[in-house]
Amino acid sequence: MTTPDGRPGPSGTRPGAPVPGTPIPGAPSSDGDERRFDVAYITRVEGEGSLRLRLRGTEVVEARLGIFEAPRYFEQLVVGRTPDEVVDIVARICGICPVAYQMSAVHAFEAAFGIEIDPAVRALRRLLYCGEWIQSHALHVYLLHAPDFLGYPSAIALAADHREVVERGLAVKKVGNRIISILGARSIHPVSVRVGGFSRVPRRAELDALRGPLAEAIEGARETVAMVAGFRAPEFEREPMLVSLRHPSEYPFNEGRIVSSDGLDLPLDRWDDAFEEHHVEYSNALHARTTDGRVYLLGPAARITLAGDTLHPVAAEALAASGLRDAIRTNAFWSIAARAIELLHACAEALDIVEAYRPPAEPRVAWTPRPGRGAWATEAPRGLLFHRYEVDERGFVSAAQIVPPTSQNQGAIEQDLALFAPSVLSLPHEEATLRLEQLIRSYDPCISCATHFLDLTIERE
Amino acid sequence: MTPGGAGRRGVVVFACGEPERGDDGVSLAVADRIGRRLGGRAEIRRCGALEPEHLLDLLPDEACVVVDCVAGIAPGEVIVRSLDALVSPDGRSVATPRSTHLLPVADVLALVRVVRPGLPAGSFVGIGGERFGLGSGLSPAVEAALPAVVEVIEAEVDRLAAPGPGG
Repeated sequence: MTTPDGRPGPSGTRPGAPVPGTPIPGAPSSDGDERRFDVAYITRVEGEGSLRLRLRGTEVVEARLGIFEAPRYFEQLVVGRTPDEVVDIVARICGICPVAYQMSAVHAFEAAFGIEIDPAVRALRRLLYCGEWIQSHALHVYLLHAPDFLGYPSAIALAADHREVVERGLAVKKVGNRIISILGARSIHPVSVRVGGFSRVPRRAELDALRGPLAEAIEGARETVAMVAGFRAPEFEREPMLVSLRHPSEYPFNEGRIVSSDGLDLPLDRWDDAFEEHHVEYSNALHARTTDGRVYLLGPAARITLAGDTLHPVAAEALAASGLRDAIRTNAFWSIAARAIELLHACAEALDIVEAYRPPAEPRVAWTPRPGRGAWATEAPRGLLFHRYEVDERGFVSAAQIVPPTSQNQGAIEQDLALFAPSVLSLPHEEATLRLEQLIRSYDPCISCATHFLDLTIERE
Repeated sequence: MTPGGAGRRGVVVFACGEPERGDDGVSLAVADRIGRRLGGRAEIRRCGALEPEHLLDLLPDEACVVVDCVAGIAPGEVIVRSLDALVSPDGRSVATPRSTHLLPVADVLALVRVVRPGLPAGSFVGIGGERFGLGSGLSPAVEAALPAVVEVIEAEVDRLAAPGPGG
């Protein structure tokens, strides 16, 4: 949807939400000792939400990331549906990471029904995930985040001075979309993923057509890593608890175990043994914490830190050459480097899969539903995505739990903002605001997945 | 290459929207109706949201019609704007996105204008929507507007395909 002047309109934007398009970063206002910064809308994030920072002197007494997009009720929408219907429905949760929703769902059902898939189908699912990571990471690095580091207000302004940079990003992104289109029948909300396999699998010639574009994308992704490694990130050191999947021999997409930087090691169907969701008053999205109340961070930085030894050799080489492995762990701003490394990984692995591809004998294996519980976690571009389903004796879903990465990351985002905010308060208002926005963009928040906009308010007492 | 025919310029119709979000699926409903009527006069490409790659993939002499649902006008009302009119003269976006996972149309156009360079000849056809919540199906006012939308798109295709400067 679009507004008459070209604005995409909301799907379900809450009445009363800030009206976009209004000039935002206003001058700081003060009321007695209270200093207030208002940003009614932060661009270049995926979603609608609000951030309120309240400070007493230089101490942050409150940091709230509120999400006010109407709750999306997907967990109820899928009740009474068949597993294959659910796989198509959950893809609608997100336009950027539909594959992730499909993968977590399909694996959960296959776990519930004891389905073993063909190795070629397994490889095709990794290829599909590579496509999603490529388009999502290229979009974020080039069009959403790089302008912050290069001193431009938008990708449009960046393109005006550095057209070749934006062209490179768009070219790499396009390869991701093409992979998804070939495997999923369309680039947004693919429709071919089925419990047991795919509704159709590509012919070898169809994938062969990707060889040239992927070889070019690998070069583009190498240049991306080199470009971001030359950026200058704001100083910001902390040691967050990091959580991701880890597989003994593969960079994590669909399989492995849930691991953390403080020693957690769980089967990926047991997320709820260590984590739990809870509602907070100011947000329509559920927050997640460890069962003992700690916040944690998911996503590219967590994966690079916890599973970096399984990166594709070309990506591992680029990471080593960048010298940024430690900085990726400790400085949220360097997530752009983690994303670039993963972009390179996804391009390289995709080419490997394409070159080794032999179509399976059948696109999917036959299966019979049975009552029970199935749960699984896979790695969306923004981090671990957990799904749990209960299926009744008729083969219909009777209960569902969907835990997106952004809702899990909210606590860590709030904690990081509280840690970072004091360091920017002495800066001129506009620069301080820009730094805070940049930090928020570092998490590539997909707020609509969590249940979109970031409305930033800083109150200083 | 899109169908052009002797002396005619190829035209691509981009039908943007999400059929699971009520009236946001109107352009896709229109695409279903207009294909046979347009015959070989234009190629229809369905897309969730307009992306830079869609326009950058156009051949240098191809034109396009971008069709999308619109908020802020009466349900069922149809508007036509040149693509240029959606981007501010200084190339900056005239608006910010609301609930999108991708760049807003104005930003896509502004970016394409810099990268391509220049915008393709084309127009934007917007249909006022009323209901954007979860679920398929058009609201009565939007459903009733479908014949008029088809007429407008067909006229835009013929205008853009005609030899001469066009859009």
